[in-house]
Parts: sequence; C-alpha cells; structure tokens
Amino acid sequence: MPNTKRYLTTGGVGFAVGTFFLWNYPNLGLGAALLGGLVIAALCLLYSAPLPDMIKAGLIAGMFGAVMTIVYGTHKPGVAIIAGMLSGLGAGLLAFQRSPQANPKKAAILGAEAGAIAGAWTGLALFVMAFVIAPAAGISAGDFAEHLSETVILADTLGLGSDILILLFAFGFSTLTGALLGAAACAARSLPLRPNIPLLAVIALPVLLIPLIDRAGNLLLLDALIPIYIFILLALGLNIVVGYAGLLDLGYAAFFAIGAYTTAMLSSPHLGINLSFWLVIWVAAAVAAIAGLTLGAPTLPLRGDYLAIVTLGFGEIVPILFRSLGGGPPGGTLTLRFFGMPIGIEQVDLTGGNKGINPISPPHLPLIGDFEPSNKIPWYYLLIVIMGLAIFFINRLRDSRQGRAWMAMREDELAADAMGINVVRTKLLAFSMGAMFSGFGGAFYGAFIGAIFPSSFDFSVSIILLCMVILGGLGNMTGVIVGGLLIQGADKMFIPKGAELFRRIAETKARAEDTSTVGVSALQDLTQQRLLLFGIVLVVMMLVRPEGLLPNERRKAELHPDDDTINSNSVAAEAEADPSLAA
Amino acid sequence: MLQLQNVHTYYGNIHALKGISLEINQGEIVTLIGSNGAGKSTTLRTISGITPPRTGQVLFEGKTLNSVPAHKIVSQGISQSPEGRRIFANLTVRENLEMGAFTRNDKAEIASDMDRVFELFPRLKERVAQRGGTLSGGEQQMLAIGRALMSRPRLLLLDEPSMGLAPVLVDLIFEIIQNINNQGTTILVVEQNALMALGIAHRAYVLQTGVIVKAGDAATLREDEDVQKAYLGME
Repeated sequence: MPNTKRYLTTGGVGFAVGTFFLWNYPNLGLGAALLGGLVIAALCLLYSAPLPDMIKAGLIAGMFGAVMTIVYGTHKPGVAIIAGMLSGLGAGLLAFQRSPQANPKKAAILGAEAGAIAGAWTGLALFVMAFVIAPAAGISAGDFAEHLSETVILADTLGLGSDILILLFAFGFSTLTGALLGAAACAARSLPLRPNIPLLAVIALPVLLIPLIDRAGNLLLLDALIPIYIFILLALGLNIVVGYAGLLDLGYAAFFAIGAYTTAMLSSPHLGINLSFWLVIWVAAAVAAIAGLTLGAPTLPLRGDYLAIVTLGFGEIVPILFRSLGGGPPGGTLTLRFFGMPIGIEQVDLTGGNKGINPISPPHLPLIGDFEPSNKIPWYYLLIVIMGLAIFFINRLRDSRQGRAWMAMREDELAADAMGINVVRTKLLAFSMGAMFSGFGGAFYGAFIGAIFPSSFDFSVSIILLCMVILGGLGNMTGVIVGGLLIQGADKMFIPKGAELFRRIAETKARAEDTSTVGVSALQDLTQQRLLLFGIVLVVMMLVRPEGLLPNERRKAELHPDDDTINSNSVAAEAEADPSLAA
Repeated sequence: MLQLQNVHTYYGNIHALKGISLEINQGEIVTLIGSNGAGKSTTLRTISGITPPRTGQVLFEGKTLNSVPAHKIVSQGISQSPEGRRIFANLTVRENLEMGAFTRNDKAEIASDMDRVFELFPRLKERVAQRGGTLSGGEQQMLAIGRALMSRPRLLLLDEPSMGLAPVLVDLIFEIIQNINNQGTTILVVEQNALMALGIAHRAYVLQTGVIVKAGDAATLREDEDVQKAYLGME
C-alpha cells in the first residue's frame, strides 16, 4: 500500500496531539479536534497528498473531533456532542468540496473507513494515556477512566465493571461512532451546495462555537486564543509587505506598537483624552498607515538586504521613542530642544516611559456595556469580526489590479515599470496597507490587555511574526493563518502545558526514587526552550520545505525550479537549429 | 512621430549620449546599430523614461516626454521589450501577457489583442499555461515582444531581439517584427546584428560612443563601405 507511510505519520501525529490534549484538557473535545485536525491537514499537504487522501484527512480531522467530543465532553455533554457532530459533518462537506463528482455510496464507505481510522486512533490514544502517561505522572488508570463520563455512564448501563473493559468499550465506541458519522458526513456530499459554502462552514463553525464550548467546559481557552488571533492578524498584514510585494520587513512590530500607543494615548486617563474605542481603532489604523508611508518613502530605492536593515532599525527606534517620550527620569526634566533651543513643552510624559500606559479604556456597546476583562466572549467575537473583515479585504486586494502590481514588482521591478506600473505608489501602498492592519491589531491589543509597555513590541515580536509567515507559506493567506496557529499555539498553549506534563512526570519519578530534589532543571523546563524549539523547527523547514507548509504556488515554483516540466521540445528544436547550443 | 533633439543622457557622471538627434516617422521600422557601449540601449531607456535625458528634447507626437515618468510612457502609446527580455519568470505566459496590458481596462479588447499575439506567435499559444522562466530563449523573446504589444502601442521599442538566439530563430523573429510593422505599428529596433536589422528596416542610424555617425536609408547604409567594414564583418 503506497499510502501506508502517510497514514501512519498523519495518524501518529494526530494521535500524539490528541493524547496531549486529553491530558491537559480532559473536558475538551472540539479543541483537540481542531488542533489534531489542523496538524493532520497540514501534514497531508506537506506530503502533497492526492485528492482521496485529502478527503480522508478532512474526515479524520472531523471524526477525531466528533469522537473525542462525545467521549470527553464531561461538563455539558449536550453542547459537546453537538459540536462534535458539526465538526464531523463539516469534514464530510469538506470532502464534498474536494471531489464533488464521487458517488454518494462510495463516499459513505470512504467516510466510514476514515471515521473508523480516526476512532481507532482515539481509542489507542486512550490506552496510552491511561496506562503509560497517566501512571507516569502519578495518576492511576482508574482515575483517568473516571474522566470519560459519557463512556462510563454508557459502560455502567451495560454493566461493565473493570477499568480495562471501560477503556475497551471506549475504543470500540470511538471506532463505531467514527465510522457512522464518517458515513453520514460523506453522504451529505450529495447535498446541492456551492463548493465554497462547505469550506466556509467547516472553518467558520468551530471558530464561532469555541466561546460556547469554552464556557460550557470552563476551559479558559479564550485567554490563549485571543492573543493568538491578534498575532495572526499582524502576520496577515506582514504578509502583504513580505509575501505579496516582496519587501523584507524586519521591523514590523513597530507598526503594532504605533497602533497600540495611539489607542493608549487617545483612549485612557493618561493624557486626559478618552475617546471611544470605535473611533480610536480607525485613528490607530490611519496613524499606522501613515507611519508605513514614512518608512516606505526613504527606503524606496532599497531592496532585499538593505531594506531589511533599514526596517530593522525602524523597528528598534520606535519602542525606544515611545520609551523616551515618557518624560525622562523621575525628578529630572526632559526638555525638547531644536538646534539647542528649548521648545515649549517641558517635562513631557506622553507615553509613560517604561511603566507604559495603564489603564486603557475598553470598548463599549449599548447592549453589552463596557467589555469586561473577566468576560472574554465579547472580545473574542469583536476580534473575529475584525479578522473576518481583514481577511475579506486582503483577499480582494490581492486579486485586484493593485495585487497584480505587487506581484509584478516582486518579480521584476524594472519590468513592472516598463509595463506601466507605478512602482513608487505600489511600494508605498504595500507598506501602508501592511501597517494599517497591524494598526488595527495594535488598537485591539491595547484595549484588550488594558495596558501597554514598550517591552511588548521588541525585535522578537517582529521575528516571530516573520516566522509565522514563512512557516505557513509566504504569500498565501491560509498558510499564514495555519503558520500563526502553529507557532502561536505552540508558544501559548502546547509548550506551557507540555512543560507542566513533563514537570509532573519528573516529580513522580523523583518521588518514586525517593530523591530529595523535587523539581526540574532548566533543561527539562520546556518553556525556557521555546526559542530553541522554534529555531530548530525553522531550520528544518527551510531545509526540507522552504516554501512553507501551504505555499503560494508561485513561490513554490521559485524555490523548486527542477520540478518544472522543462519544455524539452523547444530546447531540442533550438539545439537542432544551432548545434553549438546542444553542448 | 518621435523626435529626439540634441539629447544628452548621463549615468551619474558618465556622459552616455552626447547630443543625439533622430526622428522616426509613422509606419517605419527604424534601426539603431552600433557596437557594444555605443549608447543604443541608453537611447531606448531615454525614450522610455527609465533614464531621462539631462538636456535636449524627446518629443512624441509633438508632446514632450522629458518629464513623463517611466510608468506613464506606456499609456502614452510607447512600449518596450527591454534589454535582456525581462519577462516575469514565475508568471505564466498568459499572466505575462496580461501584465503587458496593465494600463488598460477594456477586457474584450485585451482578449482580442491576446488572440492577435497568439496569431503572431503560435508557439506562445501552445505554452500559455507554462511559467515564463521555463520557456526557451526564443520563446522568451517572443513573449517579451508579445507582452510589449499588449499595451497596444503606436511605437514599439525593441532592444536586441536577436540576442542569444539561434540563427533560425533570429530569422523568425525578424520576420515577425516585419509582420507587426505591416499591421501598422511603428518600430524602433536596437540591434548588434546589423545585417539582419538593416534587412528589415526602412531607415537606420549608426551610433558610436554616444554620437550618431551615420544616418540614412537602410538599403544605402548596407552598401556603405564603412558600415560594411565595421558592423557587417565585410572587407
């Protein structure tokens, strides 16, 4: 079977992710599904799987979610089960989109097969969790089985006594429900829908349902998700500059800072100006866009390395500027001077210096009132709206004349000029558009965190953003979003949780050996190794797949010139015409 | 149609064109021949606004082009197949041609112009979905000319269309250039392959280190002893 390796890998990774999530969020179904699904889908694309494999991947992802949700949705089983079902259905529709011609019966069989695979993996995950990882961290298999309340209730009704039987039952249950839902979802492919709608539904449903699941399961996922989304919004803006226009920007965090500081200055008691968030977010975007022009104008003749250095400098200057606009050392005075002459304001404190600006006023809506820091749900949906608009707008921009001008400029500036493209305008527009989205991101960030500090915008932010864009696939929005989810998800969710798991295992081991040194060394503490981990991932990526996980087709072609079907006929014809060329 | 009056062009401090005056009439093929570094490409760059003249006048249909930026020259009716072809290597043949029509908005007209380009270059039609960079040298040259035609220019500037091509293809390209001219486009072609260029051109200018040293009918220049000696390799 030629695809065995592929299945083993995708299944294995999905399995690992699922296991991991089982551990950290025993109540979590959909989250595990989404992450497992994303990883699987990314891997499938990594292997350039053919269509049927894609279908299976989509199904595995969805089934994974469905089964996990049904099995682990302990707190609010109803919500969890529905979410799982939707995710399964979504996978089926995704399959429909991938190959609309397949006949329903075949599709149902395929779906059942994929569902069964997903279910079996989940069951296997359960076993490893219960008998390997849980005991290693000091929890008995029985205690772990207690988490599986749905299954336990079902198993009790059937009169299954022992832990092993319960787990075996869970295994069978997962496989069976997986198969059933898979078949059902695939049969749904015969629904008469426009091909875009299923895909949109598959993406939108889980994204929109997350807050409900989060609240039902009390998972506190939104605390991590909102910053992740903000970073994705920033990466989308950076993608315009780097991916579409081909201008390497190493100081992109500066625009983020400008957006955030504009919001902080205009919407807080700090300067006594307290404008509404709904106004300030536009001002912040506009200020950031103007800052983009300011950076763009002097760098017009620069390309590549030189441009990178200038943007790097810009990225360093901006946080320093905000730091120094804080009025100098306590007790001292800072006087603005122009050619040695003091001008007007003394002891200015525009930005709060190192202490930053705190508090920043939250947005206010008639029915909801002020957005509270404790209730993340309005924040989440507001961010979803901003991102939805940004994605829509950037998409249209890419397909517009302007998008084609960026493409031509990236390819060859001089030729673009000769085509009648105004290169100056095109470049400036790329900088200011990119900056504008990071202005929106900064404004939201400022209001959401409620306080800003110059240290939140240092060089590492620019670099992480660039990594997200490159890992996902330069110039491809879907890729950038996936790259962002992976890097930021790792940074804010996987690594901290993984570190906790390792710590518990290490502690259990230390107790078993009765050594007095409980605790872990820095080497064992994963959170301290995060940059190292990113570094390794990036190096491996650049060697194996420099175009990113979901590449823009053209970038892929640029980086793999050998794959082109070189037009041997015409080369041969020319060689024939002129023997000297053949050599 | 196009007039250069005593044009001086500099690259920084380097005085590249030292007072060029030439004229191209509607419907002509005019060629500019000369050896390496004579200023042939610079003359084209001066016309197309990439390297504007420091002094002197460039007049197109009576209007000055001196202060018109390069990207606006195209919509004035002049387009260029630049030196070294400079096709977009990672765009398909179709996308390259579409880029050529960037300044235009009339979809139906663009489509019919593309058909016209495919008529001139059937090879391009066969390779319409292929990336520009994977084309052979001859096909790339065809694409560069085709792309320049997509802006529907009244004056077409060609820079070394024979460069790096096999003799059979050079013949083909020059035949097509003549076809384009027969369909009503005025052409200025810069060539090192003086024999070929003089074969199709109506008139010619001979350029030497930034100065025009000879001008006249292409047929006459072809018989000129100095030209034969210096550029046609005849003793």
